[in-house]
Amino acid sequence: MARAALLCLLRHRTAAATSTSPLSTYRCQLKTSNSKTPAAGVGRASFCRPFSSKAAVNDVIGMDFANTDSGVAVMEGKERLDPFSLVADELSVIASRLRSMVVVEVPNLASAAEYFFKIGVEGKRFRPTVLLLMATALNVHVPELPPAGVGDTLPTDLRTCQQRIAEITEMIHVASLLHDDVLDDADKRRGVGSLNAVTGNKLAVLAGDFLLSRACLALASLKNTEVVTLIATVVENLVTGETMQLTTASKQRFSMEYYMQKTYNKTASLLSNSCKSIAILAGHTAEVAMLAFEYGKNLGLAFQLIDDVLDFTGTSASLGKGSLSDIRHGIITAPILFAMEEFPQLRAVVDQGFDNPANVDIALEYLGKSSGIQRTKELAMKHANLAAAAIDSLPESDDEDVIRSRQALVDLTQRVITRNK
Amino acid sequence: MTVLFSRVITRISGTPRKTLFGCPQHCQSLVFSTSCLSSTDSNPKGDALLQEKVDPFSLVADEISLVSKRLRSSAVAKVPELASAAGYLFKEGVEGKRTCSTVLLLMATAMDIHRSESPLNCIGNTLRIIELRRRQQLIAEITEMIHVASLIHDDVLDDADTRRGIGSLNSVVGNKLAVLAGDFLLFRALGALASLKNTVVVSLLVTAVENLVTGETMQMAATIEQHCSMEYYMQKTYYKTASLISNSCKAIALLSDQTPGVAMLAFEYGKNLGLAYQFIDDILDFTGTSASLGKGSLSDIRQGIITAPILFAMEEFPQLQAVIEQGFNNPANVDTALEYLWKSHGIQRTRELATKHANLAAAAIDSLPESSSMDVRFSLQAYDKNFLINFVILDQ
Repeated sequence: MARAALLCLLRHRTAAATSTSPLSTYRCQLKTSNSKTPAAGVGRASFCRPFSSKAAVNDVIGMDFANTDSGVAVMEGKERLDPFSLVADELSVIASRLRSMVVVEVPNLASAAEYFFKIGVEGKRFRPTVLLLMATALNVHVPELPPAGVGDTLPTDLRTCQQRIAEITEMIHVASLLHDDVLDDADKRRGVGSLNAVTGNKLAVLAGDFLLSRACLALASLKNTEVVTLIATVVENLVTGETMQLTTASKQRFSMEYYMQKTYNKTASLLSNSCKSIAILAGHTAEVAMLAFEYGKNLGLAFQLIDDVLDFTGTSASLGKGSLSDIRHGIITAPILFAMEEFPQLRAVVDQGFDNPANVDIALEYLGKSSGIQRTKELAMKHANLAAAAIDSLPESDDEDVIRSRQALVDLTQRVITRNK
Repeated sequence: MTVLFSRVITRISGTPRKTLFGCPQHCQSLVFSTSCLSSTDSNPKGDALLQEKVDPFSLVADEISLVSKRLRSSAVAKVPELASAAGYLFKEGVEGKRTCSTVLLLMATAMDIHRSESPLNCIGNTLRIIELRRRQQLIAEITEMIHVASLIHDDVLDDADTRRGIGSLNSVVGNKLAVLAGDFLLFRALGALASLKNTVVVSLLVTAVENLVTGETMQMAATIEQHCSMEYYMQKTYYKTASLISNSCKAIALLSDQTPGVAMLAFEYGKNLGLAYQFIDDILDFTGTSASLGKGSLSDIRQGIITAPILFAMEEFPQLQAVIEQGFNNPANVDTALEYLWKSHGIQRTRELATKHANLAAAAIDSLPESSSMDVRFSLQAYDKNFLINFVILDQ
């Protein structure tokens, strides 16, 4: 379903769950056996992330599915434009550019990196869609042209530069997935490792490095040092967020503030800074750039919070039908944090850890009694509304395309929080 | 020129070969007299013992300490574990020889001298010079960050246990955190690069980063044919070793507003310096230091990394290729290969190759336009030229 796969992209990156991480699927390919088939039956056989109602623990580009789902266009009784269709053509251009950017002299590496950009794995690209919509939404007459040398100021060149931002963020995102998947010796010893895992490890590091270096090259080609700074910050944030998750001291795990910071780092920073880069490339003022930043940030946060909820609830409204992968990996998310505020005794359970499944059940009990899920949804709504407000605050425009794109961006904020997959 | 060869050969043969600039601190054991204004040496192959030479490192030692200090404080992060992982190889005593930074700072001085007189007034001039120097020091910091980031990732890829005389980062904090720390450093460097607000310089160093990755993948994914190809080896060596220093030298020149021609000379200097350095590295891995002749660490060949001496030996003894194809897990093959090596002129020819590149580097410096300035820096120029040349020329 269109909505289903819509935002399944920005999930937690937890400890590698070998069954669903993109790299381990690649490793499966190396072993020439593939035990995972896409449950939904849609999309290509071996390279797609298995599609199920479980929240994905690792993010691939999403499922491929036909664009002809007309149900998407008609939603909740009124005709709304599918945000994705607005930019679909442009996206496929970007996708093929990405693929050709990945071509290298060394075949091994190309196949590892290219895996993520193969046709069929891409599906709906959430992040690039947001960025391209933002680019159009900001396409207002800028009183002051950007200084010479910045994207050459010709509209077509500007658009190309903005598309490049979409490519760069995609490469960085995938690279960070690869690096997050690197196994430690402890994992290897536990039997997770095999020759392929070791090879897979090296390839993961190399392929990630390769993507990062190509992203750097593309960044440099934009000839805009402010954008370079922003994107460099993104990677620092991604690394920081992942490290926060890796090394959380117990006190911090109970802190909502820490959790929000980590969530920003891991999920929202990429969106916020790339949205801001789009604005900067177009020569907008700092205020407008900040609005773009706020949109990306709040959208990302809203998305992640709903993700947290879905990990517990799954597609049904009731508790416990979600994949529960977060809590099983000991990752404490917003619903539990809220529940802990109402039931301090939950802390003791959390402290014990969740290797013991009984603890998971206890935690779920508390969660059910509490208003944790509800409050998380409210928080997500708050951020979604902040995102929409940022768009509404953009400088006026009469341009049809601009208006449509802005509507689509606002639309996305609602989709993020009303999805149930 | 015994000076530099002896400098080079004090690098302990056990040092992992990839630490181009990572010679342990205690290797800085060469003692040179440091006279200030002695006459320049026009005969590069003269006997060092008879002439006073200034240690190139001491020329910029204070600045190097400053750069190192800044590096240590740059590895800050919100998460303590990340900060300590990122700063691991910047700790005092573990910074390596900082050859790269030294070369860059010397190059910065050489560039300043060679530029034409500025029409600015005295105070403005001074401020500009200070600001420029600060920017060039930043290049040195950035280069070091990039270099260390690549070392960290290399160690993960090689499962290395030690680096610069201490435990490798991956052996201390695990592979994943090491990989993340490397990423962090790399993009910290990129951010610093952006702060220079010079897009050409950004492009140069970003190219170097991409080359580093390409070089590493060339090494990891080579077929047997490619392993045995001198051309492949030269290309890989440029990417892995010389590209970073060549591009940073060029960046230094460009920051000084030098012409593209001069910038290219700086690039050529860095490139040939890096290549020469690597070839000596290759030799040392077989021969060890003069104190332990014949007892090199052999770490290259044991890992199946085929370097210049073996490639040359293969030209004389094609049967060596068969041995290489069998691989070097079997120590007997290592011995066989060594036999061929000693019989051949592999070591000698590699040394000649290194000398050739060292001379090319020297020629690049000699081609720098003369400065007509008569101030103190003019004398320094002579030293710089000398030291940059002396740094690489080898004893036959």
